[in-house]
Amino acid sequence: MLFDKLNLLFLATVAASVAYCLAVPGAFFVQVILWATLAATLGAGIRFVMLVGELNIGTSAFYGIGGYTAAYLTTAYGLPFGVALVAAGIAGGLVAAVFGYATMRTSGAYFMLISFAFAEIFRMLVVESDFLGGNNGIIGLFVSVEYEPYFAATVVAILATLISALAVIENSSLGKSFIAIREREEIARSVGINVLAIRVLCLVISSVVIAVAGACSGFITHLVTPNDYTFMIAVFALAYVKLGGEEHPTGPILGAILLTLAAQYLISFGAYQQVFFGTVIAVAMILLPQGITGRLRDLVRLTAKRTARDAG
Amino acid sequence: MSTFIQLLINTLQIGAIYVLFSLGLTLVFGVMRLINFAHGEFFALTAILIAMQMGWLLPDAPFWLQYVVSFATALGVLMALSVVIYQFGLSRFLGDLSSGFIFSLGLVLMMRGLIGQIFGNYPMTAPPLVEGAIYVLGGAISTQKLLVAVLALIATGGLLYLVFRTKLGMALRAIAEDQEAAMLQGIRYKRLALYGFLIGSSLAAIAGGLIAPLQVVLPTMGGELIMKAFMIVIIGGLGSIPGAIVASFLIAALESFGSYFIDLPVVTIGVFVMVAVLLVIRPQGLLGHVVR
Repeated sequence: MLFDKLNLLFLATVAASVAYCLAVPGAFFVQVILWATLAATLGAGIRFVMLVGELNIGTSAFYGIGGYTAAYLTTAYGLPFGVALVAAGIAGGLVAAVFGYATMRTSGAYFMLISFAFAEIFRMLVVESDFLGGNNGIIGLFVSVEYEPYFAATVVAILATLISALAVIENSSLGKSFIAIREREEIARSVGINVLAIRVLCLVISSVVIAVAGACSGFITHLVTPNDYTFMIAVFALAYVKLGGEEHPTGPILGAILLTLAAQYLISFGAYQQVFFGTVIAVAMILLPQGITGRLRDLVRLTAKRTARDAG
Repeated sequence: MSTFIQLLINTLQIGAIYVLFSLGLTLVFGVMRLINFAHGEFFALTAILIAMQMGWLLPDAPFWLQYVVSFATALGVLMALSVVIYQFGLSRFLGDLSSGFIFSLGLVLMMRGLIGQIFGNYPMTAPPLVEGAIYVLGGAISTQKLLVAVLALIATGGLLYLVFRTKLGMALRAIAEDQEAAMLQGIRYKRLALYGFLIGSSLAAIAGGLIAPLQVVLPTMGGELIMKAFMIVIIGGLGSIPGAIVASFLIAALESFGSYFIDLPVVTIGVFVMVAVLLVIRPQGLLGHVVR
């Protein structure tokens, strides 16, 4: 009931954002919409791996793989925006398959730790790689001039489609096996689910989406540097999920929008922005363990129960 | 030969710090079933507090006395902070791995931001405790490094005694093995979890205190160390004390010898690949059991 309304609200928000980006392409608020869209994709992507019960701190590395793939291909070979996005998605998926094959045998704490290490290793590898520009990164990701007015709207539309695709997969039988693996791995295995393969597949799907978002982030800022893709990306993604609520796909989107808007306001606070985000995460974990959408759902249920009791 | 001895002593010194730090991490995991990401921040904060106090707290006293006094106050501050963090935060997430981890990530952001604001994001140095060098088999070793290694090994020995020879240690091990069975035996879990957390945090703080006079103190040093500690506890097996000790010296040896013959970042990346391969063969670590 409530979640149906949230789905509608999501579609309406996407439509309004696309329309706004087309109507006033140069406006400052278009940038805010783009940041919120990237944030929402990150939140949706990290939540997707949580469906099999894992916290993937390596999300930031896949974001970076997308950004760097797009940056390298466009600056070195002059590939257009669309091709760069596809290539970024493929690169993210391939790395996720290899990384997942090794690490998805573990679960819980071990996966969390190794995925964090992966995030740090990715950053170190980039700093050490001269062809990726080392510490300075790669500058010069631009879309063609005639395409510029449609760029923001395209990014919002593509990423919103990918977020919706994740939600569709979640509701498919594949999504059901993700949750079966999270809840009772032995039972999932006993009915013939190849647990390792499905877990790797989950990571790959999430990473493809994250990598495409990373490629978009490169085109938005026109440059990629190692510092854009630290594990903090994953921390922020987790903050969106936790604040918005992880039960429903719209939760991280809500969290992403709220925190992106808050961040715009907080830029004037400088370094205290970090403290603010940390406080939001910590306080949300204590006061809103189910997130905003979870809390809303409880409230709706409670009101329904009260009305039913008063009527009867 | 002299290079070899120097690298060996270097391994001993780095390894001793890694042992203290990762033992704290693994102990907290064993007792509370969560990974405290802010462990690295405890380490950095102690080192910063010591570097800041020396030369200011007791300007006329000898260096060793300044060091002892500032070490003690820093440890006190860290313990008080740990109690607050436990009571208002972590105690709600006992056994809840993902929530506890995310909460501690929030703590990391808060602490990093505040440390940067209060103490400044620039490097600090503490004066050396002792000058000079000792010659062993033709290799020169700075007395300071040797002293730190010895102190760290003494602290590790103290922890091992506490965990394996005292009643408190027995209770902590019982909880790590089977929390419900331990509670049935009358062990007060919540209180013991607090003790476990305090012991674990103080190990991070002691490691930070010992590193302070050896190297430049930076607010970001906790983040670098915790990544290595994660690798160490994966290799050794989460919750395994012998595993953490063996893996710490293994990583320290690889880094110490590797950075002499190759490049340190290359070694770190190599260690990661090694850990990934290890996970394919033995997902529970070298000496670990399957943790669910």
